[in-house]
Amino acid sequence: MGVGTYLALAAVLFGIGAAGFLTRRNMLIQLMSIELMLNSVNVVLLAFNRVHSANHEGQVFAFFVIAVAAAEAAVGLAILVAYYRIKKTIDTDDARLLKY
Amino acid sequence: MSAVDFMGVSPLLLLVGAGLALMLVDAFSAERSELALVTAASLFAGAALAGSMLVSGELPAAPELVTRYLAADRLGLLFDVVICVGGGLSALLAGGYLREHGLERGEFYVLLIFTAFGAMVLARAVDLLSIFLGLETMSLGAYALVAYRRTSARAVEGAVKYFLLGSFAAAILLFGSALLYGATGHTDLAGIREVVAAGDADPILAVLALVMLLVGLAFKVGAVPFHMWVPDSYEGAVTPVTTFMSVAVKAAAVAVLIRVLVGAFGDEASMSLYTGWTPVIFLLSIATMVYGNLAALAQSSVKRMLAYSSVAHAGYILVGIAAAHEVGAFAVSAVLFYVAAYTVSNVLAFGSLILMGSKGKEAVSYDDLAGAGRRHPMAAFPFVIGVLSLLGMPPTAGFFGKYYVFSAAVQAGGPMVWLAVLGVLASGVGAYYYLKVIVYLYMREPEEGQAIAVPMQSIYVVAALVLSAYYVVKMGIMPGRYLDWAVSAASSFMS
Repeated sequence: MGVGTYLALAAVLFGIGAAGFLTRRNMLIQLMSIELMLNSVNVVLLAFNRVHSANHEGQVFAFFVIAVAAAEAAVGLAILVAYYRIKKTIDTDDARLLKY
Repeated sequence: MSAVDFMGVSPLLLLVGAGLALMLVDAFSAERSELALVTAASLFAGAALAGSMLVSGELPAAPELVTRYLAADRLGLLFDVVICVGGGLSALLAGGYLREHGLERGEFYVLLIFTAFGAMVLARAVDLLSIFLGLETMSLGAYALVAYRRTSARAVEGAVKYFLLGSFAAAILLFGSALLYGATGHTDLAGIREVVAAGDADPILAVLALVMLLVGLAFKVGAVPFHMWVPDSYEGAVTPVTTFMSVAVKAAAVAVLIRVLVGAFGDEASMSLYTGWTPVIFLLSIATMVYGNLAALAQSSVKRMLAYSSVAHAGYILVGIAAAHEVGAFAVSAVLFYVAAYTVSNVLAFGSLILMGSKGKEAVSYDDLAGAGRRHPMAAFPFVIGVLSLLGMPPTAGFFGKYYVFSAAVQAGGPMVWLAVLGVLASGVGAYYYLKVIVYLYMREPEEGQAIAVPMQSIYVVAALVLSAYYVVKMGIMPGRYLDWAVSAASSFMS
């Protein structure tokens, strides 16, 4: 299989993630959508690493993405828990205390 | 390899050491220890260290293994100074504010230092990998700082919005980085520049990558239409955090915007007036200036007005970046000067807002400020200097900031002249809401039975205000030296 196949897969994953983030109103699912987008980036990086295989920068990059995604999930879940404690809901439609 | 070899990145190392030490001190110390003072001192020491290297002729050395990811150039040192000064002043403000409102906990200062560290890494990043790591180090700290007052519904809602939109933008930026790596085979910006300039990059992938990078960076700068998080998270966060975000986080985002656009995509074709990235920045800048100023007009909360004003200021900064295709070094130096001037002016304005309120009697809306100038003339005076500088009145730093940015646009010629005209008009709109602060301070009286804000007493807040007011006025009367630094940073970066 060529690089194109992997890129197509990554584009589909990224699209599903972005669509999920934009259409779903549950913050936990939005967080999962973001994780899906980050993982699609890993697919792109690994696919291109096969093309530019001189120093495996792509693979190294992917490791960092995995580590940062974990840190991001930790901070994000902590904020969501704090939010849930106050509001008793994690629906974005209810987050309208601050506007205009 | 000796310690001297690491001089080029010493401000970063200093902050990491200070942050780790602070965590230990916080764990073992009794309450009411002077963490704010220690934090501010470490950040100011970082600024002094970077500043001394900036003014000395020789650039400090750094090992190649480090400079491959983090530049040790004058641009990076200049942003070190700006971020450390902004962070240090915010730490002083926090020392007064958090204690007054009974919110002081040690982790605040640790987060502040590590977020400032992330911002400095981002401002020095010369590799897609270090851009991503710096961005996330900075952003994760900033999300936590916004949510710091975790029992407040507003703070947590602001943090949730900031976190969700911020990580979405970071994911887009990351996808763009991966595509750029694919298009050029490089993750370092210098290598990318070579390939792009030679025209060897896959055109479709490269354009797609640039668009996605721009979306991510425009989000971090707070440019319209990627500004939605700015007013909400700025309003929800405690005011010292708002101050810190509006100066340090924004400065770092501007730095990486310069490094990516003028650095990696700085060749003739990519910068071209009609087919490169210049028209995109041109349009972003117009939208940001117009929307930021108009939205600020409609606010009744001063804090939210200052949030929209920081959106508008992002627009003025983009004017300078748009002018870089024609007058590269001058435009970049104008942007650098603007960022420095904006940093001290914004600290002054937000700091004055902090000083005007005390526990249970916080100053938030214009009405809270009514008549405060006559009741408390000493506390209100710095507010006047702050808003005048944000407005761009001489003799303040803000005037020269706007002057250099707009004259760069005029020198670039062509459609950029209209950008400068629009910028001046937009600043005119800004006069309405900035002067409204002064009108309420001095020419209104609070209505019968209305709660009035009472200024707090804090040596820390006063120190931060005196320092920032000093630099606002000094940069407005004698801008020469600061402009020289900006020019030397910009020209060494462009050559």
